[in-house]
Amino acid sequence: MKLTIGFSVNGDSVEVEVLPHWNLLKVLRDVLELTGAKQGCGEGECGACTVLVNGAPVNSCIYPVLEVEGKEVTTIEGLMDKSGRLHPIQQAFLEKAGVQCGFCTPGMIMSAFALLKANPDPTEDEIRHAIAGNMCRCTGYVQIVESVQHAAAVMSGRSQERAGKE
Amino acid sequence: MKNKDKPPELQPFFDKNIAGDVVPSIGISMPRIDAYAKVTGRERYAADYYGFDMIWAGVKRAGIPHARLKSVNTQAAENLPGVIAVLTHKNISGSNRQGVIRKDQPVLVDDKVRHCGDAVALVLAEDKETLAKAIKLTSADFEPLPGVFTTETALEENAPLVHEDHPGGNVLLKASLEIGSVQSAKEHCDVLVEACFETPLVEHAYLETEAGWAQLKEDGKLEIVASTQTPFRDRMEVADALGLEPERIRMIAPYAGGAFGGKDGVTVQSLLGLAALHANGRPVKMWWSREESFIAGTKRHAARMYYRLGAKADGSLHSLDTRLYFDTGPYDHLGGVVITLALEHSGGPYRIPNVSFKGWAVYTNNPIGGAFRGFGVAQVTAAMEQMMDMLAEKLAMDPLKLRLKNAVRKGDKNCVGVTLTHSTGLVECLEAVARHPLWTERAAWKSKAGPFKRRGAGIVALMHASGYGPVVPDVANAKVELTAEGKIKVYCGVVDMGQGNAATNLQIAGSILCQNVDRIELILPDTDRTLPSGSASASRCTYTFGNALIGACETLKLRILQRAADLLMVDDCDETALIPGAVRHLPTGREIPLHRLATFMNESERTATQRFRAPTAKEIPPVGNEIRLHGFPHTLFSYGAHLVRVEVNELTGVVDVKRYLSVSDCGKIINPHVYEQQIQGAIAQGIGYALSEEVQVNEGKVLTADLATFIIPAASDVPEIESQPVEIYEPSGPYGLKGVGEIATNGPLPAIANAVADACGVRIFRSPLTPSRVLRALRERLSEGGVH
Amino acid sequence: MRTFEYLKPASVNKALALLDLYGDQAKLIAGGTDVMVQWKKRIISPQVLISLRNLAELSFIKFGGGLEIGAGTTHRALELSPEIREHFPVIHDAVSNLGSVQVRNSGTIGGNICNAAPSADTAPPLLVLDTNVRIASTKGERTVAIRDFFRGPSRTVLQTGELVTLFSIPAPLPRTGMAYSKHTRRKAMDLPIVGVAVLLSFEEDLKTCRKAAIALGVAAPTPMRAANAEAFLAGKPVDKTTLLEAGKIASEEASPRTTIRGSAWYRKEIIRVLVRRTGLICMERAKGAARS
Repeated sequence: MKLTIGFSVNGDSVEVEVLPHWNLLKVLRDVLELTGAKQGCGEGECGACTVLVNGAPVNSCIYPVLEVEGKEVTTIEGLMDKSGRLHPIQQAFLEKAGVQCGFCTPGMIMSAFALLKANPDPTEDEIRHAIAGNMCRCTGYVQIVESVQHAAAVMSGRSQERAGKE
Repeated sequence: MKNKDKPPELQPFFDKNIAGDVVPSIGISMPRIDAYAKVTGRERYAADYYGFDMIWAGVKRAGIPHARLKSVNTQAAENLPGVIAVLTHKNISGSNRQGVIRKDQPVLVDDKVRHCGDAVALVLAEDKETLAKAIKLTSADFEPLPGVFTTETALEENAPLVHEDHPGGNVLLKASLEIGSVQSAKEHCDVLVEACFETPLVEHAYLETEAGWAQLKEDGKLEIVASTQTPFRDRMEVADALGLEPERIRMIAPYAGGAFGGKDGVTVQSLLGLAALHANGRPVKMWWSREESFIAGTKRHAARMYYRLGAKADGSLHSLDTRLYFDTGPYDHLGGVVITLALEHSGGPYRIPNVSFKGWAVYTNNPIGGAFRGFGVAQVTAAMEQMMDMLAEKLAMDPLKLRLKNAVRKGDKNCVGVTLTHSTGLVECLEAVARHPLWTERAAWKSKAGPFKRRGAGIVALMHASGYGPVVPDVANAKVELTAEGKIKVYCGVVDMGQGNAATNLQIAGSILCQNVDRIELILPDTDRTLPSGSASASRCTYTFGNALIGACETLKLRILQRAADLLMVDDCDETALIPGAVRHLPTGREIPLHRLATFMNESERTATQRFRAPTAKEIPPVGNEIRLHGFPHTLFSYGAHLVRVEVNELTGVVDVKRYLSVSDCGKIINPHVYEQQIQGAIAQGIGYALSEEVQVNEGKVLTADLATFIIPAASDVPEIESQPVEIYEPSGPYGLKGVGEIATNGPLPAIANAVADACGVRIFRSPLTPSRVLRALRERLSEGGVH
Repeated sequence: MRTFEYLKPASVNKALALLDLYGDQAKLIAGGTDVMVQWKKRIISPQVLISLRNLAELSFIKFGGGLEIGAGTTHRALELSPEIREHFPVIHDAVSNLGSVQVRNSGTIGGNICNAAPSADTAPPLLVLDTNVRIASTKGERTVAIRDFFRGPSRTVLQTGELVTLFSIPAPLPRTGMAYSKHTRRKAMDLPIVGVAVLLSFEEDLKTCRKAAIALGVAAPTPMRAANAEAFLAGKPVDKTTLLEAGKIASEEASPRTTIRGSAWYRKEIIRVLVRRTGLICMERAKGAARS
């Protein structure tokens, strides 16, 4: 009944046994024990399960696992560099108080990561549009938006004052 | 990738903090210690446990609002391969009743189903899929009973009873208070305003639904890890319900993925405990689905509130008459406490000589009403602050001036007869709003509304009590340890559900003991390791625990310095100081490292504890003992004033929140970032409460059981929020602090309602202010010949 | 165990062969943003899912005066297409605010149409564009006008063994403006309470309406064209007044339901407002297109 599929997670090749109806989130959490991606609704409404498949953010809770075969999956666990240094977006969420309970944080950071890759200097509206599918119930989003703005400034080498004014 | 065979970790993950070499200070924004593990995805929430040999547990829900349970049919499920057990109330040897005040909620239904979310059977299975199938195969025979679905029908004579054994019938608790006389209000008041307000049932919608795992250890100890606000109280509840000695149970509370009151009390705990008792020592996990969280979890009480407010021609408030009906659903949960706090706040932060407040927490067969940030105050503030604007309009008085005129000041008696002896910064908050350009320049801004748009500004005055009030001791016990390795361990007694108190504890301990972040470890709430410190609720966490922690740290500090002085052979420990990792003798510069010092101290010497009990009001206002038992009255309040600017679309009824200003008196601030998070987040929740959030229920069935139909604000729905603290030092608080967790939630609904009224001259008495309600009100006003 | 077989054919022809083989036991899945949720909620329980996700032959955007969109094209690909943004902004309007980025990265236009929800955001735009839907089966191909495609909530003209391969959109007339607006309960990440697409083609005076197309979502059991409102506008000068009247007529043509998301009364109100508002955007866009 089970099928074996191979794909890459954060640069490592993995082979897992799956059932056809499983979704990517289940495999990440239950099988690979990568519990950074969270389940908040299981229906693609909250974005807590956001991971990248071939660079594009998706809701892994409704992503059929058989569809990741041969693809590259990036999760929050793969964002730090090899030396264990935080990615600038992670660093920015930490410094600019974008984290409260933290349950939405991994998904939120993955959406921000995809945004900044495509658009290194987003406006506030573009940021809010990009994270519209990531619900947060703690922060009110203001400090999250500031965290993403700060990360954008740091990543593109712009000065901090500018980041503050945006 | 983690190894499946690894034994389960009990403690959540900790890692080197980014600012590890920083010595914390009070009053600065430092990164939260918990953020590192959270941004890397390494934090292990209760939902994140996937261990060796793990079993899944799940619940068969009743799905019917009111019925007598005749039998539960478990056979078909039990026969399914992979099913370990199907448990019913017959498997419970304890009281099978849970509850904080009145224990009226079964772990598993025995006699009667009282709402759709009631648990009828508990299923244990090898995997989630088998579990789902087994739950489907489990059935029950019910004898349906007529239900009660509104507070009105529940209070009718001959209404079906939710609890036949409750002496009050469907009235869980009636609370009342009278001071002076409202009878003659008509004669003594120049102006009277009357209205009835309805506020909706609301879901917390924390991102992490109810979750946990449990295991029966070889030594007979039952370990339960749960996403909870109340590990110590849970232990007692679970013990009683399951018939165990409390000391057999160990409750562990990792960082919660949001709670907001919805995890104030037992959710998965008793069920998990019961499951673990039938799991042959294997770990059992339970994680409610989002739908289950909507159906079975607690909610903010829906309320109907009648108000009559009278004033003199000069605007001084004279009398207030209120009747509050809160739908508490089928169980007490915290309904009695909620209605009591609502009653206490129903007159707002004003001096009113004559009041008559009556409140009913009413049993129905709807979802369970319980704790939710704001805790009854959100509802009554929505009513009272709209009454103030209605009164101002009738008096043709500026609404801000009307509030200032009646605002409580230090030394006043508030309207429930309590003398305000603590810091009372309401006037300062209102004055800050009065000076702000968003207020002073509102007329110009309003006049620039585009076609089909109307603009308005609304203000509110806020107060929110902190702590439990009298009777139930509001106590925290802090413990801090110098480890044998020379590091500091802080044993946190109060859960961090996201509000950041764990990080604040580290900041306090690091600041007093002058140790950098890397040298401090936090032990999160655990009934075996930390000391009982009450719930993470009631805007009390840092106030009560922080005071205890300061005491414990000061004790430990003195002990360390004295021991160091002895070892350095100096007379006076005043000449020594703690520095990161060591004690230094200041006149000579000689140092002794903490790890050396620790070897000279035994364990009891290296550990300091401190108890703190929050102050209570010494007055005994004219209420029954029952009400006092439910926490009335309080002595310590935070205050605030909010201002909102909205733009109403006349064609669609859409209310667009343009700007928001919050001014708060929550005492001095320990970490401005964390403080700001509390204010911003509370306002965002309040905006959802004002505009879109409403759990729709039909005959006890939840119609909006997902995040696609229960609409919480997304990133684009929250406006720019400006937050100003009025930092008035509160002598009883840690570093002058007061509670900040809840107060800001109470502002947006009445502020927005007032702004909508200011914009278009219509007041909508039923919230949320959905576009269709606003549009209908606008249409009705037009058809009455109003201005357009 | 409640499960399904998940098949990933390598071509449309193979997918069609599988459809023939499994008949009613099979369901097609593209991005899965509807199908996976419906399966989880036990609304559907097919024995076989046939995936179209990786079929490059279904994922394309082709210009040449008109427009051809492969049914497997994701909303995100449409959103990011500069040509669609410039020449078919009504589609851009719809897909750029459909669900979240995550949903748009998986969900496809074909899936959105075939799921046949009254609230499908891409339906009103395709309706006003007089789109032809190409349908394939092992027996061959047929083409159905989109206005004949929907048969009811979750029901279409698709027969067992058929799948949608392509949306073919004729070139708009010169001096055409088109737009889609939706009314939601929050600013993003929400299904429409009402969705309205308007397409207005003008005579050379840029005032007189040569052709009007108005389509409504969540206004009836299926996405619909507001024929009376269109007829009213045709040949008339388009301005705020005539658009207001067109909105009234469209609202009268609609037969929305009351659901937990919104009441029929309110939906009718919003149709009036959105037809006018969207029509005004069309006027602006037509003028802009004429200038450029």
